[in-house]
Amino acid sequence: MRARRFPVGRSFAAFLLCAAAALTVFPLIWLVMTSLRKQNTIFNGPIFPTHLTFAAYPKAWESTQFALHFFNSLWITAATVAGVVLFASLAGYAFAKLRFPFKNVLYVLLLATLMMPSTSLIIPLYLQLKNLGLLNTQVGLVILYVSSSAPFAMFLMRAFFETLPDELVQAARVDGAGEFTVFWRVIVPLARPGIATVIIFQFLSTWNEFIYANTVLQDTDRLPLQPVLFSLVGQYTTDWPTLTAGLTMSIVPVVLVYVWMQRQFVAGMTLGAVKS
Amino acid sequence: MSSAPWRLQRSERIAGYAFIIPITVLFALFVGWPILKAVYLGFTTWSGFGAPHFTGFANYVRMWNDPVAQQAFGTTILYAVVTTVLQTAIPLFIAVLLANVWKGLSTVIRTLLFIPGIVSFVVSGVLWKLIYDPNLGTLNKALKSIGLGSLATNWLANPATALPAIMVVSLWGAIGANMLIYFAGIQGVDPTYYEAAEIDGAGSWQKFRYVTVPSLRVVTAIVLSLNLMNGFKAFDLIFVMTGGGPAHATEVFGTYLYSLAFGSTAGSIPQLGYGSAFSVIVMLLCGVAVLVQVVLSRRAQR
Repeated sequence: MRARRFPVGRSFAAFLLCAAAALTVFPLIWLVMTSLRKQNTIFNGPIFPTHLTFAAYPKAWESTQFALHFFNSLWITAATVAGVVLFASLAGYAFAKLRFPFKNVLYVLLLATLMMPSTSLIIPLYLQLKNLGLLNTQVGLVILYVSSSAPFAMFLMRAFFETLPDELVQAARVDGAGEFTVFWRVIVPLARPGIATVIIFQFLSTWNEFIYANTVLQDTDRLPLQPVLFSLVGQYTTDWPTLTAGLTMSIVPVVLVYVWMQRQFVAGMTLGAVKS
Repeated sequence: MSSAPWRLQRSERIAGYAFIIPITVLFALFVGWPILKAVYLGFTTWSGFGAPHFTGFANYVRMWNDPVAQQAFGTTILYAVVTTVLQTAIPLFIAVLLANVWKGLSTVIRTLLFIPGIVSFVVSGVLWKLIYDPNLGTLNKALKSIGLGSLATNWLANPATALPAIMVVSLWGAIGANMLIYFAGIQGVDPTYYEAAEIDGAGSWQKFRYVTVPSLRVVTAIVLSLNLMNGFKAFDLIFVMTGGGPAHATEVFGTYLYSLAFGSTAGSIPQLGYGSAFSVIVMLLCGVAVLVQVVLSRRAQR
């Protein structure tokens, strides 16, 4: 039997892939194993510990005020996701299904900045928040997150709404529904898969965001997890079990979301990339 | 009868504007205005206190003569190009292999390869910092244990190895997503092309070279330009792992800009004007990356 489509034999391909997967996963396994190590085996123990202990976890939990920052992250992320989903689906629907003057100009204008790196505007954004009295507030941070991510989500939602037939909208209007009712009662329920995709993407990117949070917020108590994890490096230079325990705990939510919603995630990935 | 369509159109128009108002207001306040402000500040000298002092193109002249800026420019381009090449070629190779193995194995491998992509840059940066640690790091330990101890070095503190070390981490995080895009692309290739190629006596390499690669031109253009843009945007990973050091060896525009405005290299005085001039350059570079994408995908679709 020869390989149907591609150059290398099946077994050889499988071997290469397993090697690549092992190499890729190794650092993460090492991370977890290090968090389970005894403190005194960091210096001269083997690469993987022989004796496992969970002692580092309570220590990391308390010394970093993990619960506080975890909930900061959680609510900042939830508020951002809600804002992005709402604004992006409203605008995405308007651009996909409604007719109004200057529609295309506005759409292109909103999308033009899609590729802008977050660092490039950090100086004027910092000044803007300062002007509005929102510097060092979580609300200010959420506003930055929503405004910087909404255009991409809008783009995804528009692509999704365009797959729905126009007749749906027209039929609902003929039945006497107002424009918002059409959107809310007819379109949104049909758009659940698209909304799910936006939610996952937004959750992951907001949960993982670092630089805006690190710049906008100054009070330690208000920080989400990422800046706190970053500051741990200096504090626990040799206490690797505590450091890695903190890192490991911070990954749990994203891994759960990834595993739980993997299918929508992959669909969204390819939709986003292929449409752009 | 005659007024009904008109009324419908009018309510549709009002709804259209009403639905885009929130996103447009946010955009104007937190994207549009800041862009204009960055352009303006780029022509000024300003520490954040008092009024900005208009200095014309002085910041751009200074940038031109600033050795750190020159180095950062070279590093930004080098980083973007090398990561783009690696992150475009290797995932393609992996996706092709994936399409060639048993389905169950392919699913497992895809899931595993993607995990680094969902981890934050802070976590991956810190994790790899530990791996690269000169004394306790796994990399040096592993090199010593297989008799290559002479290669062991202080990876992130050595100007020669710091940038490649960060590129490895970038690749580690990027393989999964790019591989998924290619994999989806390969699923879309018409199998009859392969059959036709086989009838013409094509070997496996020829099938890859003359069927797979040309069929994936559009996808490749997308992956390439996404990676190029991410390369120009590079910030988080470098900021976390080296902060632009040692001796600016890993300094890119993003990190230099940030340190001018918020960091310590500027001394105690923030240089918001000079930093903003870098913002303008970074935005222009991203414009170039977008153009590359447009040109590439036009050409690929032809």
